[in-house]
Amino acid sequence: MTAPLLTLDRVSKRFGSTHALTDMSLNLFAGEVHAIVGENGAGKSTMIKIMTGIHQPNEGRVLVDDEPRMIAGSQAARELGIAAIYQEPMVFPDLDVAENIFISQVGGGLFQNKAGQRREARALIERIGMDLDVDRAASGLTLAEQQAVEIARALSQDVRVLIMDEPTASLSAHEAQQLRRIARQLASDGVSVVYISHRLEEIFEVADRVTVIRDGEHISTNPIGETDTDTMIAEMVGREVGNYFAKGENHARDEVILSVANLSLQGVFEDISFELKRGEVLAMAGLIGARRTDVALALFGITPATTGSVIYKGQPLTVTSPKQAMDAGIAYVSEDRRKLGLAMPMAIRANISLATLTGFLTRFGLIDRAGEKATADRFRERLAIRTPDVETEVGMLSGGNQQKVMLAKWLNMNPDLLIFDEPTRGIDVGAKAEVHDLIRTFVKEGGAAIVISSDLPEVLAMGDRILVMREGQQMAILDHDEASQERIMTLATGQAGAAA
Amino acid sequence: MMRVLSNLNPQTLRILALLLVLTLVILFFSTQISNYLNGRLFNRISSSVAIMALIATAQTLVILTRNIDLSVGSIVGFTAFATGSLIAAFPNMNPLLLVAFSMLVGAGFGAFNGFFVAYARVPAIIVTLATMALFRSLLVEFADGKSITSSLLPQWLTSFPNTPLFEIGQFQFRAAFVVAIVIVFAVHIALQRLRVARRLYAVGSNPEAAEMAGINLKATVFVAFVCSGALAGLAGFMFLARFGNITVVAGLGFELKSVAAAVVGGVNIFGGSGTVLGALIGAILVDLIETSLVRWQLVSEFWREAVLGALILTAVALDAIVMRRLIALRAARHHEKREQKMEGTG
Amino acid sequence: MTERSTLSAMWARVQTWEGFLVCALIFIVLMNTALSPQFMTLSNQINLFQLSIEKIIVALVMTFVIINAEIDLSVGSMMGLAACAFGFLFQQGVNPVLVIPIVLLIGAAGGALNGYFISKVGLPSLVVTLATLIGFRGLARVLVEDRGITDFPDWFDRLGQQGLVGPIPLAIIAFFVLFAILYVVLQRSGFGRKTYVIGTNRDVAAFAGIDTARHKMILFIASGTVSAFAGLLYAARVGAVRGDVALGFELDIITMVLLGGVSIFGGSGTLLGTLLAILIVLNLRNGMALLNITGHIQTGVIGILLIASVLLPRVNLGGFLGTRKQGEAGS
Repeated sequence: MTAPLLTLDRVSKRFGSTHALTDMSLNLFAGEVHAIVGENGAGKSTMIKIMTGIHQPNEGRVLVDDEPRMIAGSQAARELGIAAIYQEPMVFPDLDVAENIFISQVGGGLFQNKAGQRREARALIERIGMDLDVDRAASGLTLAEQQAVEIARALSQDVRVLIMDEPTASLSAHEAQQLRRIARQLASDGVSVVYISHRLEEIFEVADRVTVIRDGEHISTNPIGETDTDTMIAEMVGREVGNYFAKGENHARDEVILSVANLSLQGVFEDISFELKRGEVLAMAGLIGARRTDVALALFGITPATTGSVIYKGQPLTVTSPKQAMDAGIAYVSEDRRKLGLAMPMAIRANISLATLTGFLTRFGLIDRAGEKATADRFRERLAIRTPDVETEVGMLSGGNQQKVMLAKWLNMNPDLLIFDEPTRGIDVGAKAEVHDLIRTFVKEGGAAIVISSDLPEVLAMGDRILVMREGQQMAILDHDEASQERIMTLATGQAGAAA
Repeated sequence: MMRVLSNLNPQTLRILALLLVLTLVILFFSTQISNYLNGRLFNRISSSVAIMALIATAQTLVILTRNIDLSVGSIVGFTAFATGSLIAAFPNMNPLLLVAFSMLVGAGFGAFNGFFVAYARVPAIIVTLATMALFRSLLVEFADGKSITSSLLPQWLTSFPNTPLFEIGQFQFRAAFVVAIVIVFAVHIALQRLRVARRLYAVGSNPEAAEMAGINLKATVFVAFVCSGALAGLAGFMFLARFGNITVVAGLGFELKSVAAAVVGGVNIFGGSGTVLGALIGAILVDLIETSLVRWQLVSEFWREAVLGALILTAVALDAIVMRRLIALRAARHHEKREQKMEGTG
Repeated sequence: MTERSTLSAMWARVQTWEGFLVCALIFIVLMNTALSPQFMTLSNQINLFQLSIEKIIVALVMTFVIINAEIDLSVGSMMGLAACAFGFLFQQGVNPVLVIPIVLLIGAAGGALNGYFISKVGLPSLVVTLATLIGFRGLARVLVEDRGITDFPDWFDRLGQQGLVGPIPLAIIAFFVLFAILYVVLQRSGFGRKTYVIGTNRDVAAFAGIDTARHKMILFIASGTVSAFAGLLYAARVGAVRGDVALGFELDIITMVLLGGVSIFGGSGTLLGTLLAILIVLNLRNGMALLNITGHIQTGVIGILLIASVLLPRVNLGGFLGTRKQGEAGS
């Protein structure tokens, strides 16, 4: 085997007293796709930042072509042929595709050579097997197309090591497939591809070797043929997974709390119909673009449905604002903590009271801070939010604890119906199990829950019944006992229709 | 019709719409004011646009990078005064050298702003709010109670703006106007074609991504401020040449007027999109309406500013609404196309 | 709050931006006292406030607007419009007692206009209020054209110029009453909390059931109304109005608020900071006047201070200057 393109040699990185990476060693070779897996907080992002020169290691060496190098910044990394693309692509909406690819190109004259640029851009786009008009403004591109632009940009800079950080997390199944094909293609062209993903199943499809890291330490590196999902999960969590995948008890009662009939939002989703009982969890499964979140937003009054009916607690219900939904006892926990869920620079206390602020007001409209703090402390204990105190900024917490704060905000409302959108996205396995338990407790005590999830094991673990959507259409409602990952996937990808 | 329109580049569409509004305004006033569309109107507007166009262009460069320059009026005032003092002290100075001096002074102020915004990472609105006062106080200190009068200036300077270069019918194209228009077009072409200039758009539309893509964010913003300062300095030179009499309040209020012209011209206040050609038409439109209202018998000339305020608000609101529609229309068509494709394959 | 000893709690307080402002204020006051024996007299202090009273009253509401991640550039023009509307209506023979509520209503309506375009149409407040800055000023000029209007009734001028409680005039009392009320509203009430949350992240607030459009509407109406009130105070204090009343005040007002530590990006800052910045600006101007420094130069110095207010907290002088981020959001 030839010398590795990039080597981490016993690299350590500390932030204050936290050890983000300890004695991390890794070799990356030309022509391989190297997957890296680990729980959130395992040190993957620190590792990427060291490879791309954003952080410098405290100890250990980084070698490029077997030569120790000091990578002083992302510019320096690029000059060495190291580039990264992320889940949220970085494109410039007002420039066209060709300009986006060549925006940071140095040299080549003062003026843009439009014709030449267009030609080269087309060649690069073709090389990764995409079909894309290079004169289009980037503002109209889909996520997958934007990623393709970014990959083309990296290729134009003669990338040798391309790091893909969760590239398929927001893509539809078809798009993700395409991206994995691109990764393979790049490897066969001699690029060293680092592929980071939470979706273990896709790693078996794309990777040549896989490295598991945990708590900043290297656990194992194996050729993909010599490992399997169970081993990988066990290595990631450092313990047997236990009941994470196990289905909880069905607590459904007789009372139907929500009955939705032919709910439609023009151009978005059509004819959604289901019933939900108290004590029941309805899981909504589907791929990205299935419009599950849009159904939730319609029920919560953000973008009201155009036709159809909602019977809630035996009464017809129309909501046109979140306030009305909340007054009716409906809570919606968003999938996007950062943008829609939490006021990151504010205290845990202020975030927990946010949805129920009126309840904390004294006679003159002033906030009862002591009451606020007591409530926050109560939830801190009940949900086991790990924090020194409730005055801590939410932004300082880990993803799992942020998720719990968000849940606390809504539980304090005492909702009857809780809509939980991607309850465990981006949080580690331990916290996932805790969040699942909290949802089960909620329904056991008489609430009803809708859980939207793209994680099939989660759908099966949570859903008493499972509603599968595809591109705004309701494909089926399955009872838990008749559902399986394969069955759901068939429906979600539309294969069922083709077969029938 | 909508199909054709929605296929156009939004920026081209904006410029077409602005030209349409400009024509409508001219048509409207020509029915209201007798002998409206004549050489005098053109001369009047062209001489004040010569200054405003430069300032609006300067402002656009900065706004494109997601910043703002509130000190532009003070820069104009200071350079006008400093240039006037210089030529008064050395009346035989080479004109080109004098222009270079004013642009250099302006660029210096721009560099000062740019340093604090780009390298010290102080928000532009704070920096330029401060330097608006600071540069003005430098002017007061520098002027020391005196003012520049046209009698101190050489003949060539004061007659330069009004020298007719050529005429089309009764429209006289005077030197200052022609120079300003040539500069605006040069900047426009540079912004569309120059490699480094495209980075202004990149930085303005997505600073984080720009940095990740290897664009030097700080240098780009800094250069935008320096260029903007140089253009403001040139505007100061034009201001001196046109008015001849310069006091410490020269250029007061230009900062907001330039933002208004840029915004009416379709430059996005949040950066990343817009053209200087749009800003030029915006400046012309603002000036045309101001000038015409003074001559409109039906309403008192005091309505000028009130109408202007309403115009800006309407222009921006319409722009936002039309653009939203357009985006929705495109999305719908995209959707339609995809469905057709799927039906075709299915 | 975690428990601390009183002393270290005090030290922690000094380390905030407000602590720094207090120290700066004490320094300036001492300097001024050394420069002139007249400085610390009550009449000079009253005079100090009176000269800028309209600006500092509006600065209190501007603090809310900027914490809400918006800006209102039209306040100076609204002050001018209110003063001119008062003069115009008075000249038309309308009873001054009736004129006052009408003028306040004009202020509210102007604010509602801003609020409509910002919260309902969704335009940036920088652009909307830039347009109304020009538009309101235009309306003021339409009302008074190029005349000056004087000879208001005696009681009106007296309210503006003479002491109401002892030597303290109405405007100063109004300022401190307004400060006390707004302080409680911002720091302790539900409305204040919402102001911070919306300023931090508007979508998070909306998803928590807060009507953000309504909140912004209320703020802009308040801003317009208080600006109109300040315009009336101006008319009473000066005893005359012209089309250029309060021209350019918006930038002075915004400077004071930002100097007080309110983040231009919204979500953080306190009214206490604004008050301290006001006191610093007033005393500094007074001190410079004592040194025969002209108004334009004074403004220049305050400009430098404004840039320094962003840069200074980053220089960690042995931990003396803490972060500038403070207030409800951080607490």
